[in-house]
Amino acid sequence: MTKRINSSSRTQLAFTSFRRNRVGFFCLWVLMILYGLAIFADFICPYSYQDEDRSFSYCPPTAVEILDQGHWVHPFVYARALTFDSLHRRIYVIDHAQKYPIHFLKNGRLFTVDAPGRFYLWGADARGRDLFSRIWYGARISLSIGLLGVAISFILGLLIGGIAGYYGGWIDSVLMRFCEMFMMVPGFYLMLALRAAVPENFNSVQVYLSVVVILALIGWASLARIIRGMALSLRERDYVLAAKTLGVSDIAIIFKHILPQTISFSCATLMLTVSSYILAEAGLSVVGLGVQDPIPSWGNLLSDAMAIVPVIFAPWILLPGLFIFIAVMCFNIVGDALRDAFDPMFKES
Amino acid sequence: MNKVLSIENLTVAVGSKRLVDQVSFDIPQGKIVALAGGSGSGKTTIGLSILRLIPSALRIKQGNIIFEGKNLLDLSAEDMRQLRGARIGMVFQEPLSTFDPLFTIGQQMDEVLVAHTRLSKQERYKKILETLSEVELSDPSRAYKSFPHQLSGGMRQRAMVAQAIVGGPSLIIADEPTSSLDVTLQVKIMELFVRLKNKNMSILLIAHDLGMIAQVADEVIILSQGEMVEKGPVSQVINQPRHEYTKQLVGAFQ
Repeated sequence: MTKRINSSSRTQLAFTSFRRNRVGFFCLWVLMILYGLAIFADFICPYSYQDEDRSFSYCPPTAVEILDQGHWVHPFVYARALTFDSLHRRIYVIDHAQKYPIHFLKNGRLFTVDAPGRFYLWGADARGRDLFSRIWYGARISLSIGLLGVAISFILGLLIGGIAGYYGGWIDSVLMRFCEMFMMVPGFYLMLALRAAVPENFNSVQVYLSVVVILALIGWASLARIIRGMALSLRERDYVLAAKTLGVSDIAIIFKHILPQTISFSCATLMLTVSSYILAEAGLSVVGLGVQDPIPSWGNLLSDAMAIVPVIFAPWILLPGLFIFIAVMCFNIVGDALRDAFDPMFKES
Repeated sequence: MNKVLSIENLTVAVGSKRLVDQVSFDIPQGKIVALAGGSGSGKTTIGLSILRLIPSALRIKQGNIIFEGKNLLDLSAEDMRQLRGARIGMVFQEPLSTFDPLFTIGQQMDEVLVAHTRLSKQERYKKILETLSEVELSDPSRAYKSFPHQLSGGMRQRAMVAQAIVGGPSLIIADEPTSSLDVTLQVKIMELFVRLKNKNMSILLIAHDLGMIAQVADEVIILSQGEMVEKGPVSQVINQPRHEYTKQLVGAFQ
């Protein structure tokens, strides 16, 4: 009996290495928190995404008061009243006589105030809708659209790249020319063209799905090309020949012996692609071709900030941009960290 | 005598250059036939030609490869795939690179059974353990769960043989199966092949080590630059070499 050699699988090694990357691990947590908030938006947000009150248009963030005449009290907010100054600018005057206590865990919401009081943690938009609520409902769209789009383009990219690289010859030529048809059109214009092909009378779910498909169609080609290159080299490995001598079918060889070898590259690219898809969705929505109001997404929330005047008087409407920035940064850093973790040549300095 | 495989006038060429030229030989059932020759003599090309897995630049120009009554060169790609692993198995020189590092030995042997049989998961597991013990791996269930790099070179080569025979082939093509092993392990692996032969399996042994061939093979074919220079029973070829090249080859091992 020989002694059992103590060894970890590649995934375990990669995970250990990934955990040592503090920044990457931190960003992974940030992402998980963002997704958590998006999933539990119904509970966390005080209002639904379309709950509007036009008398609170561009209401600034509401301060949460915990001191009342020098005493600690249950958190509350003061009432506000809209008036206009001499230049016809909106001014919200705080009414110190009227207080609204913040209720926790009431009506299935984490925190809320009784009507007619309104509680705008991060301010309100033009129609008096709560930006905090709209950001987390919008996160559902923005964060899921990237993942779904990536999932589809990865399935396409891996499959087509794997088949092209493994078989080579005319199959490879045909598939790669097909890829290039998608790659030769600049991404954003292709996106606009594909969006134009979608019927206008689609409901919000259909628009959402069509955006997903559009994103997936843009992203798969470059991935397919890279996977095809890797498959071209992997198919020359001895174990691929060995599998052939054992009568393993081509499809089984592609799925078991070619594609798994590309995992380190795929994982990192997957993360990096999610971030570019989030940006692409935002881009489509900012120009009004993505998800339509009243359904929020970070992109169409940000499209409110396209005009300079609202931004000057209500700078909080730029907040969705901050979240796009955070999500994209985190996906990029996690992607880099994963790539380093899977790379056996990478040494931490 | 019952022939399992018979190769007739096999010619393999790349462009106009003939790598294998008019080679003919038979492999009788339950015998070990050795293909010997120096590097570049076309040994491996013949082995891969039988399975129709030669590199795409190479072409089989002429000849027949008759296996169990069928000409393999006439079979469809799918029929050929079903034959590989099920009727003909192959053992390679370097088991570390011929096992996929990402999967365990068991998973890779399982693939063969999935490709060729309709056995249930349980039956496949049982069959694999039986085969692993047949090649004298001391702890088959541990070998099943091991990744290729976790086994020693000798164990790995046994696992490779197990993978080649798990589908129940009647012919094994062994391409330099012992070249990567030390001398004591070489003897062990050769004993394994002799035992398989005694179970009525036919073996095409591709090797350059005439000493080893003399011990285990029944017949030997000497190749030189793609041409067959001599063939016959091992004792006759080695003790009374007729061709100049065979004499050199035999001389090199004495």
